[in-house]
Amino acid sequence: MKRSLRRKYTKLFVYFLLSALSIIIAFPFVWLTITAFKSYPDIYAYPIKYLPTEATLEHFDKISSMQFGVYFRNSIIVGFGTMILSILIALFPAYAFSRYRFRGKGALLITVLFLQMFPQVVFLVPMFKFLGAVGWLDTYWGIIFSYLPFTTPISIVFLRSFFIGVPKSLEEAAMIDGCSRMKAFIKVIFPVTLPGIAAVGIYAFLFSWQELMYSMSILLSKDRQTVPVFLSLFIGQYQTRWGPLFAGSVLSTLPPLIIFMILQRYFISGLVSGAVKE
Amino acid sequence: MIMPYVLFIMVMVIILFASNIIMSFTTEDGAFTLNNYTRVFQDELVYKSLKNTGVWVLGSVAGQFFMGMLVALLLNQVKKGELLFRSVILILPWATLDIVAGVMWKWMYNDMYGVLNEVLMQIGIIDQYISWLATPDMAMLAVIIANIWKGFCLTGMFLLAGLQTIPQQLYEAAEIDGANAVKRFWHITIPQLKPVLLTTLMLGTIWTINYFPLIYTMTGGGPSHGTETVVTYIYRLSFRFMEYNKSAALSNILFIIILGISMIFLRQISKDGDTA
Repeated sequence: MKRSLRRKYTKLFVYFLLSALSIIIAFPFVWLTITAFKSYPDIYAYPIKYLPTEATLEHFDKISSMQFGVYFRNSIIVGFGTMILSILIALFPAYAFSRYRFRGKGALLITVLFLQMFPQVVFLVPMFKFLGAVGWLDTYWGIIFSYLPFTTPISIVFLRSFFIGVPKSLEEAAMIDGCSRMKAFIKVIFPVTLPGIAAVGIYAFLFSWQELMYSMSILLSKDRQTVPVFLSLFIGQYQTRWGPLFAGSVLSTLPPLIIFMILQRYFISGLVSGAVKE
Repeated sequence: MIMPYVLFIMVMVIILFASNIIMSFTTEDGAFTLNNYTRVFQDELVYKSLKNTGVWVLGSVAGQFFMGMLVALLLNQVKKGELLFRSVILILPWATLDIVAGVMWKWMYNDMYGVLNEVLMQIGIIDQYISWLATPDMAMLAVIIANIWKGFCLTGMFLLAGLQTIPQQLYEAAEIDGANAVKRFWHITIPQLKPVLLTTLMLGTIWTINYFPLIYTMTGGGPSHGTETVVTYIYRLSFRFMEYNKSAALSNILFIIILGISMIFLRQISKDGDTA
């Protein structure tokens, strides 16, 4: 009796702590959202006004007049391009790593992991020069190409762990029934690992969605730049225009947030099994 | 079947590495020189940025581990409302764009209109407004706090996944033997979690060394280089001062440092794997 009572109090305490943590952790983002709907006098109110006197859409109007839509479209194009190419490049090697034994397999996997450890900035200058040499500077292709060395290694590691989870007997059964290995892959393995592929796709999409350093160095003309570059326009060394900056911030965070909440189960399990399981 | 990928990775690695190494050993006209490296070693800002990187990594990783462990232990206890808590605690900071996280914290830290000073005053923790980003030490503390917020979720996810693989019987047996919660944590949770802890620690360290956007948007490396890390300095060398060759030399030095750190961790991880 006494023990179960103590358990109950522990549970209550855990829920109390979790709620308190949730409030603290969500607060910065909530504050950002509230500020986006404040007029400038409210933003610069002293002492602070926690809620706007009257919610305003002026900052959202401002960014739409500054072609936010174009930047958003560019981000979508680059994001989907990175996503599709990363999946295509990673799919078959990941499958091979999970199924075949071959010489140098371990070394190749380590190369894949090492590449992920490199600071992106180390490759920026060579990448910049390379893209300049082949004439891909300031193009969608160029920026997508420059993201692939960072997205594909981790995609392979994730996907490999998904493929390992699929019993070999599945495709063996299909092959006994007369499918080629390729056909067995497409008909049997692919559908089972779709959640893993989705997780990897989202990872690649988000990588490019929020990448700033490469995007502001490689994409030079305004009609090709991406959302993070748009946001960085409002950050000056001496003055920052908070209103439009926050309006754009809220809008640009919505797509990843929604995708994450819908697919978090797949994503977390995929990420975790890829990183923790060997 | 794996040929396309092997080719792709080979070509990329060779081009990127080779051009970086060549650049670091040449002058702007293409003649061989060691000058870039001597200039790096004579540059006081390099040493300052190395020291700053050390503080930035230690502070961020320690904070992320503390928060991540706390959250993972708590989330491991609950069944009801797990989805809601996971969404808010583990997903929201992570899904926030780097640059958005940067400006959001910058605004909260604002010395006049920032909400942080106001809230801390109300609770009574401080008795006058702090200018968070105006002095080098406070600015470093401020970017580290922001980075803990942004990055602890990933640590938390890894640790939570690790916690869920520990067999429940171990705890029950220990409880019957009279071990209290703290003892169970030190003698069961930590040893069982060790492989995950080491892997997470390694990845966290490498990612934090390389993490650039938060500092760039919040302070730009200032004030008076107080938050200048090696990565922000490499970036400024290349794209502000157009010192591509010197920046390539510094990049290669950073790469060797990271490689060394990874080797130490990997050796430890594989040693544990052998004895286990």
